[in-house]
Amino acid sequence: MLIETAITEENVRIQGQDRMLEGILSYPNDGACSSALIAGPHPFLGGDMRNNVVSALLKALVPQGVVSLAFNYGGVGGSEGGPTDWPAVMSNFWKDGTFAEESDWIEDTRSAVAALRQWCDLPPLLIGYSFGCWAIVSNLQELRASAIVLISPNFKQHAFDQLSECSAPLLLIHSDSDFTCSLSEVVAWADSIREPRKRVQLAAGEHFFRGHEAKVSGTVLDFLKGHNILWTD
Amino acid sequence: MTDGRVEVLLTGASGFLGHYLLAELLAYPNVRCHVLLRSPMSASAVRLDGLLADIGLNLSALIAEKRIVPVEGGLPDSLSGVDFSGIDVVLHAAGNTTFHANGSGEPMKTNVDGTRAMLTLAADAGVDRFVYVSTAYVCGEQVGHLPEAFYPTLPPVRNDYEHSKWEAERLVWEWGGQQGVATICRPSILFGDSRTGRASAMKGLYLVAKATEILARAMDSGRETDRHQIPLRILGRSDATCNVVPIDWAARQIAGIAMKPAIESSVYHVTNPDPPTHDEIKCWLEEYFDIAGGRFSGAKWPLQDANHYEDLFYSLGNICLEYFRHGLTHESRCAASVLGGHRLLDREAFFRCMKYAQATNWCRSRSEAEVFPAPIRNVDSKWYFESFLPESVPLSVVAKVNELTAIVRYTITGSDGGSWVSRFDRGRLVETQSTPATLEPEFEYRLSCEDLADVVTCHRPLQDVFFHGSAEMFGDVERALKMVPIIGEFIKEFPVVDRECPVPVC
Repeated sequence: MLIETAITEENVRIQGQDRMLEGILSYPNDGACSSALIAGPHPFLGGDMRNNVVSALLKALVPQGVVSLAFNYGGVGGSEGGPTDWPAVMSNFWKDGTFAEESDWIEDTRSAVAALRQWCDLPPLLIGYSFGCWAIVSNLQELRASAIVLISPNFKQHAFDQLSECSAPLLLIHSDSDFTCSLSEVVAWADSIREPRKRVQLAAGEHFFRGHEAKVSGTVLDFLKGHNILWTD
Repeated sequence: MTDGRVEVLLTGASGFLGHYLLAELLAYPNVRCHVLLRSPMSASAVRLDGLLADIGLNLSALIAEKRIVPVEGGLPDSLSGVDFSGIDVVLHAAGNTTFHANGSGEPMKTNVDGTRAMLTLAADAGVDRFVYVSTAYVCGEQVGHLPEAFYPTLPPVRNDYEHSKWEAERLVWEWGGQQGVATICRPSILFGDSRTGRASAMKGLYLVAKATEILARAMDSGRETDRHQIPLRILGRSDATCNVVPIDWAARQIAGIAMKPAIESSVYHVTNPDPPTHDEIKCWLEEYFDIAGGRFSGAKWPLQDANHYEDLFYSLGNICLEYFRHGLTHESRCAASVLGGHRLLDREAFFRCMKYAQATNWCRSRSEAEVFPAPIRNVDSKWYFESFLPESVPLSVVAKVNELTAIVRYTITGSDGGSWVSRFDRGRLVETQSTPATLEPEFEYRLSCEDLADVVTCHRPLQDVFFHGSAEMFGDVERALKMVPIIGEFIKEFPVVDRECPVPVC
């Protein structure tokens, strides 16, 4: 039986290391069973807390009793910060897809988890989408997650070595057609990462899951229920 | 005319020239202006209010005093509710400046059909004076000393705009022979206010100035070339002239012509009797932007062997060169108003205009955008990709993204859509082709006309349009995604605001 609950959505401010971030904190009004941090795509690739996948996850998780936080990385929307020499930064990013200060966004992610813990003391579920996968995995040592969900990680761009340092249940969701890698590459990569893990391949709209957001969030809910992280009756 | 009062119906009042015309007409204490405003009138009134406020007039007060009477209607086919009875003079200044015809029917729709509709209604109501604002360049490619006379046959026009203005002149002239007194005013290239430098739109000579600023910026960013020895070929003759007239002077002349009693139809050239030469303009621009080195050349457009600086300078296209002419002068009765020794556009007036242009970021300051907050529901795609982007990208932060080299296709779906391919080279927009194009795009954005309007007017981010499903990316999606924030920064810097959008202005 699904649990129908009234939901509150707050626009919140998050104290980052040296800047203030904006976020959406969404929670059920009559009790919670878990908490979740949702880290979105790369800010230079259109990533923000209103992204279609991020929004779909918020919408799906909260009615299930999960206090959920999505946030904007520094320099995105109402979050402070961002590159000072924008043309130079964009030039480099255009050339090789790197941004020297990406580590600031990793720091932002850590700050967001710290803020989430202040609002809810239940162990957090960490969900990353695209660049957000790397943002959460880079923080795994310190974040003590109840479970990890990686949606379309760009493993060719970033290293995910730290996954081995956390034994929390792991769900990997990927599309059968993703511009960042071939299907065989993602399958091989998934096979190489540590157990316990579950890989789910969706026939769903490339990297972006447009129009297939419900499939993504449904897969996440099934996984969490399977690990007794959500209420199931 | 009642009790000495003159009732004038003015079209185009919220245009570049029109609001100056309105101010000049109101300087005649016996004039009441019936001002045609496009529907919805409330939005048009906000726009006119902003323009008049800039030149010290209060629209609300003028309406309360019955000096201005707003009339709702649009050219050519929304004039049924416009009452021409009691009108003494029609001053028809509305026009469309699209140079080349596109799928929208412009410029013929507004300039020819709109004028025809105005003439018919004026005749039906017994109006006996019709003043039409044409252009001095209705002469096409003719040179020599041009008389103030109607050209009975189509001159060798260079574009659809000139053709449409001649067709409209023909209709007006015929009306004059049958219905009343027709007066045709032909202003040359309009420039900023000689007293303040103000201009509400920046085209024509301003494009040359913008191109010069682009070069100056490139020099600012530390290129090795001496900024006073830039290897730039300037296409044209140094002694050719640029017939530019300040907007305030042109408006005063046209209003004066309209208010002067006339017993027979006539043509007036509202042109500069002592226009600056190419060389003078060049010297003024070099001094103002602190660069030098350009040399006049007989080379032909487009340059086949353009260097980096020429690529930059001509990235705005050749439109700015089209009206710089040698061997063309105009008979002009208005010239008598210019006192001996005084020039309509001299170095000081030119510098005032440059200062104003830079202070308003070439008419795109944030404050101007705030004057026109109403969302635009339709943007002319062709204009946006073929004119607006080539003009604006070189001035934008995109030009500094010096690793940006890409070939991009934009496909706009819908009745006003089309497809264009742009090539960026080290941040510079080198060329844009409408399809079928010879350039092979690396990636493509596809979105509807409505989404394009939302995006380029800053009402919705491009990534939002894409991630929520109504736009598509094809080809190298990763590069297309990478370009999204670059486009986003450009749009924030150069949003489309209503006044520059080439929709019919009534």
